[in-house]
Amino acid sequence: MGAWDTEQVLALAPDPAAAKAGQAQARVAKWSDAGRSEHALWGYCQGSGKKPYQTMVDLSGPAFRCSCPSRKFPCKHALGLMLLGAAGELTATGEPDWVDAWLTERAGRAERAAERAERKPGEVADPLAAQQRASRRADRVSAGMAELQSWLDDQVRRGLSGFEQRGYGELSRLAARMVDAQAPGVAGAVRRAAGVVGRGHDWPGELLEELSLIHLTVSAHNRLAELPPSLADTVQTRIGWTVETARVRAEGEKVEDDWLVLGRVVEPDERLTVRRLWLRGATTGRLALILDFAAAGRRLEPLPAWPGEYVPAVLSFYPGALPLRALLDQTAPRMPAPKPHGLTARQALAAYVESLAADPWNERWPLVLQGVRPARYGEGWALVDESGDALEILPFVDPWKLLAVSAGEPVTVAGEWNRAGFRPMTCWDSDRAVIVA
Amino acid sequence: MRGWDGLVSSALLGTERRPPQFAELPPSIQEQLGEDPGLLDAAALATLYHRAGRLPLQGIAPLPVAEGEDRPLPRPNAIRRLTAMLGGFQTAALGEWLRIATEKGWGIPPEHLPALADYARGRSEYRRLVVEAAGRRAGWLADLNPEWRFLHQAVNDDPQVWTHGNALQRRSWFRRLRQRDPGTALDALREVWPTEPAAARTEFLSELTAQLSKADEEFLEAALDDRSKEVRRAAAKLLARVEGSQYSERMAERVASFVTEERGLLTVTLPPRITKAMERDGIDPQPHPGLGRRAWWLRQLIAAAPLPPPRLLDLPVEGVGFEVLQTAWAEAAVRERNVDWARALLTSNASTDNRTAELLRLLPDEEWPAVIEQLRKTIDLGDLVGGLPVPWPAPLGVLVLDQLRKAGTARSFARLASTAARAVPVGVLTHPLVREPPGEEDTWRSRLIETLNFRREMYEELS
Repeated sequence: MGAWDTEQVLALAPDPAAAKAGQAQARVAKWSDAGRSEHALWGYCQGSGKKPYQTMVDLSGPAFRCSCPSRKFPCKHALGLMLLGAAGELTATGEPDWVDAWLTERAGRAERAAERAERKPGEVADPLAAQQRASRRADRVSAGMAELQSWLDDQVRRGLSGFEQRGYGELSRLAARMVDAQAPGVAGAVRRAAGVVGRGHDWPGELLEELSLIHLTVSAHNRLAELPPSLADTVQTRIGWTVETARVRAEGEKVEDDWLVLGRVVEPDERLTVRRLWLRGATTGRLALILDFAAAGRRLEPLPAWPGEYVPAVLSFYPGALPLRALLDQTAPRMPAPKPHGLTARQALAAYVESLAADPWNERWPLVLQGVRPARYGEGWALVDESGDALEILPFVDPWKLLAVSAGEPVTVAGEWNRAGFRPMTCWDSDRAVIVA
Repeated sequence: MRGWDGLVSSALLGTERRPPQFAELPPSIQEQLGEDPGLLDAAALATLYHRAGRLPLQGIAPLPVAEGEDRPLPRPNAIRRLTAMLGGFQTAALGEWLRIATEKGWGIPPEHLPALADYARGRSEYRRLVVEAAGRRAGWLADLNPEWRFLHQAVNDDPQVWTHGNALQRRSWFRRLRQRDPGTALDALREVWPTEPAAARTEFLSELTAQLSKADEEFLEAALDDRSKEVRRAAAKLLARVEGSQYSERMAERVASFVTEERGLLTVTLPPRITKAMERDGIDPQPHPGLGRRAWWLRQLIAAAPLPPPRLLDLPVEGVGFEVLQTAWAEAAVRERNVDWARALLTSNASTDNRTAELLRLLPDEEWPAVIEQLRKTIDLGDLVGGLPVPWPAPLGVLVLDQLRKAGTARSFARLASTAARAVPVGVLTHPLVREPPGEEDTWRSRLIETLNFRREMYEELS
């Protein structure tokens, strides 16, 4: 390892232009603090900017890292460094810290990948090490929660006025601190709070709502041992502990049924597309949520069945006080389903309230509304049931498919409810399920 | 909720300056507060109290129900094809799908109406099809979404529309009445005429093309004195199409004084000037590119005058280029829809100033293949058939596909192939061409076969 000759190095170049540019960088005068070890090459290369680029090469790959903005891989600096090495112009020394840190990180990643490949699902590689890791994380989370609580207390004592100017920045920094504390769930809640600041005339009230629920998470964390186990699981999930899918499959509550697909919501994001698939058991009446993720621009897994169809399956539920999220193992081919029965607006809200009683942080709840007719509501739209009660449709929802299917007549509609309104997913044109979102 | 605003203002000012007051909160929240509660404890309770206490909205009137019946939906595979077309695959066949579905009595899945309406918004040739496809939902959706106002078209025969409707509704009301009862339509127009803006006068005038007759003459003669130039021009064009009108007589007299036939020779004198009376009759005094001024005047006069017998086409001409007369006659033939003249012009290689396709359309379609066979020696086949209405008669479809089948892979046939792909009628979709697999590089040929197959499947699914 470590012996790369000039020809081999040039063969690594992504294109001829990069090879040429790499050769131009292979001059000792361009580099400072450059060196080599058995495993790696490194150095600072002066580019056009004020700050020199930090370049390193792991010879075992080879693998490259460089702080330059080039999208070519390897970049001209990495190639130049390797050419210097091939020409024998780098001095062998010990690796500086920044190179060592990178090599260790890479080795660790490779090891974990190898472990994962060997391990059976659900099996923990080294129970002792795993326990140590868990306890280290628990310590960091506790420290993070303590910091969060004292920040919240400070704000409330000194007052939120002036937040319109400083609030977004402070909350964003706080969110980053919570990511460091390995509490990504809370970090998300803090980011959401940041999003409220200065929006609409009632932002102080909304910010207080968000902060109070974060406070509720922190208080619950402090009393984790006193809470019923399922609620403790919910709190852990809110903080950001994830349960491995293998564990859910092995230990989660199992429910077998013909699951009616109520609908799906796809939320594309810059980085990650999230798909929520809502199910309802034909016999058990249980509600369930299947979450799927895909990197931006990638395809999501195909649906197990279309909205309005049954998928016969065993669901394994994630733990929690409101077991909703589940993993699905299909047991038979999907099949047609009749139009589902639904609720009035009042009954539907009552069901949501029950879910809040179990999990006060719950934000989304699937509703099937029966016999509702579309109506204008302010600038937007609403659905009115037979008794005249109505639910507001979320303002950003495109209502036209639903309106066209209904033509003013009562329809059955499945959708997602959150405290801001209703988001239709599927509606039934007599017995035919139609995706409306 | 009581007490909440107090919590918010304490949070804003800071509990140091304004200690929170819990006494204002609802009793059920106060009961839950432990000893020495903080502002955030109370706020969390209040937030959940508030969220859980949400009630349905009340007093909201639902939309009216769209009146009428729904037609049955076609089979699921036909619906899937429609979905694919709306998603961008073979979208050009959308109009044909709608036409067949309407003919066969199928409805369309209502969830596709918004996409169809958006599609037809920018493409007026689709509007009528979408209106029919939308059925009872057409007017209903148009009332809800101003961008789809055109869906009102052809829906309402209520005379209220004529006096109170929007521009589109009025135009479509007028068009329908004109078809049914031309005289009453003209009376309705007379009544509002003096108060309509010039643009509307021009628009309504263009609707008189339908069922045009001598009964309209008096009205149109008066419109020749309109204060708007567009209205005057439009009126002159219409009058030229009214058989036996005074306008035609005036034009015939003018032409007779400039063109005379003597002993088998046409002698032409060019008009020395344009009179006020000629201008009133719609003759444009401005010069025309590529033609002498006086020749241009003559051409306009002949084009607006009743056609002489077609045998004049064979006579030698003195005093002006032959093509001036030919293009004027071609224009007149299109205006009069004169089949004999169209046939004579097309079979004599006359100069028709790009009116070949229009003249071709005047012929009965069984004559097309023979005439096209002859014309395509001098005119590109793609140009000839490009302007014909679709679907083509079967013999023409066969003629063109036969040509394409023999055509090899030359790129120059790509345009004809893409026209033919859409235009051949249903009976010709199984032409032998579709059974000969194209080469890999053969893009226009594979696209042609793909489109013909797509259309054939479409007909089968909607049958």
